[in-house]
Amino acid sequence: MSRAFASVLPRRRNAGVSKVRKATPVPVRVLAALALAVLAALLIAAMSGSVGLSPRVLLGEWPTPLAWQVWWQLRLPRLLLAALVGAMLAGSGAAMQGLFRNPLADPTLLGLASGAGLAVALWIVLFDGAAGAFGLYGQFLAGFLGALGVCVMVFTLGERQHGQETLFTLLLAGLAINTLAGAMGGVMAFIASDEQLRQLSLWGMGSLSHALWSATLGALIGILPALWWLLRCARGLDLLQLGELTAHGAGLDAPRLKRRVVVATALGVGLCVALAGIIGFLGLLVPHCLRLWLGPGHRLLLPASMLGGALLLIVADTLARTLASPAEIPVGLLTSLLGGPYFLWLLLKRRTRC
Amino acid sequence: MLSLIDAGFTRAPSLAPFSDRLGPGELLAIVGPNGAGKSTLLSLLSGYRRPERGNVCLDDKSLSWWAPAELARRRALVAQKLTLGFDWPVHELVALGSEASPEEVETVLAMLDLEPLAERGALSLSGGEAQRVMIARALCQLGLGHAASVPVGSVLLLDEPTSALDIGQQQRLMRLLRQLAERQRLAVACVLHDLNLAARYAHRVWLLERGRRIASGLPTEVLSPSVLARVFDAELEVRTRRGDGSPLVVLAP
Repeated sequence: MSRAFASVLPRRRNAGVSKVRKATPVPVRVLAALALAVLAALLIAAMSGSVGLSPRVLLGEWPTPLAWQVWWQLRLPRLLLAALVGAMLAGSGAAMQGLFRNPLADPTLLGLASGAGLAVALWIVLFDGAAGAFGLYGQFLAGFLGALGVCVMVFTLGERQHGQETLFTLLLAGLAINTLAGAMGGVMAFIASDEQLRQLSLWGMGSLSHALWSATLGALIGILPALWWLLRCARGLDLLQLGELTAHGAGLDAPRLKRRVVVATALGVGLCVALAGIIGFLGLLVPHCLRLWLGPGHRLLLPASMLGGALLLIVADTLARTLASPAEIPVGLLTSLLGGPYFLWLLLKRRTRC
Repeated sequence: MLSLIDAGFTRAPSLAPFSDRLGPGELLAIVGPNGAGKSTLLSLLSGYRRPERGNVCLDDKSLSWWAPAELARRRALVAQKLTLGFDWPVHELVALGSEASPEEVETVLAMLDLEPLAERGALSLSGGEAQRVMIARALCQLGLGHAASVPVGSVLLLDEPTSALDIGQQQRLMRLLRQLAERQRLAVACVLHDLNLAARYAHRVWLLERGRRIASGLPTEVLSPSVLARVFDAELEVRTRRGDGSPLVVLAP
């Protein structure tokens, strides 16, 4: 009988000589820093634009009615919307990646966003949904239902396979859904009236340019609860990483967790798409980068992704507003143009598993 | 006390219902040929699959009666393989499923000789290391890292925990499990392929064949040459180990 495992009976250690140190930064400090960055970005974004505003205007000293109008009716709702949409896209990306236990899961790649987009297009064209008092809210509902449909479909597919196969199936399914939704969207554009076509193309480019209070209020009502719901799934997502059998042994009700994440994501992403069109790469990029920095624990990763997503979309939207001012670049174009190459570079740099 | 009351599955993978108890202080080995239903039995014992007949109870209350979080403090499971999507540091992985303090994590890691790996990423571990990390996590979940942990009759279920370990590690792990059972009043059920580990360390052995439990008892009773040769369809010889008199299964010459 050679050496034995160290004593079975737990022993006390000398205080302060713990060899196990937290490799990750202190969560509170990270989140506080990100929140500060978001606030700073909000402030800078509020002041810049085709009509420049001074800090004093923001504090309530309006030299002209125009300045007030720009601030209160255009810029503030738009900034809030950018923050909410950014937080939702990145947060749902993080949650999806946790749920599929795969760093490539993302609302756009899996076809969630295009499913929502197609539903919105159907609503606008077939039901002439843009008209009428319920136009905007009907659009929200269509987005939610579209995203939910794709979510359930993708999830059922993913459940039926295991290991590496799942990833391929999901990506192929996402590809098929994206293609199909694109084609159907084309058909919708073909049969749409001129007015509907204008609506479609205005909405479809991925832009926050028609953010008014009505839209922002809708986002506040729908997206905030979805974010809150996702945050409450953090511990469950952590456990799920152990595999379903072990996670069950550790006290996780996996089916309930999956339902929650799927519904919250569908609600949030559906709304985001209905409001701002398809904004690519945010959901993939933000959680991925943050995971490299903060580790895979969702209790930190989820809120950090939400803050990071808000930050990134505020910055991107400000650039979209100002780079070609007074014209606007669609922000979805910008995030994809910047995000794509960055992501490729990231993959090249890290040859190990992501 | 984990009790099976005429519990089993009728649908595939099926398991003929039977009744038995697994008490504190006991190390039970579940053995049988491939596909005999060992993992199925383990998922029944853990509550992952609900029995289609009968019931499985912990402390005389049905497993489905327990709140998942409550149950998790009393029953932990170690699966065959560690499958991770992301690279968790070992010390964070071990704390998953419990609110264990760094000191508790450290204690549990020390129990399994894993202290040097605490900061490593779990994806870079070897098979045997990963296996021990998963066992450490389960021990942590049952609160065994706590300096003042009181035995409460917890249940630890392991699916082939020695399959990737070298012979020394196998020995140390089985000795640890037996010590945990005896000193911490744990009820340990362990699926094993190595009949000699079962014979040497288990208090009791269940032998499974094609979805039925065909024998239960002391290793000396269950591991008889005629039964083993038939069940495993192998040419075996069972000798008696000098010292403790436990059976020793060897290939027939």
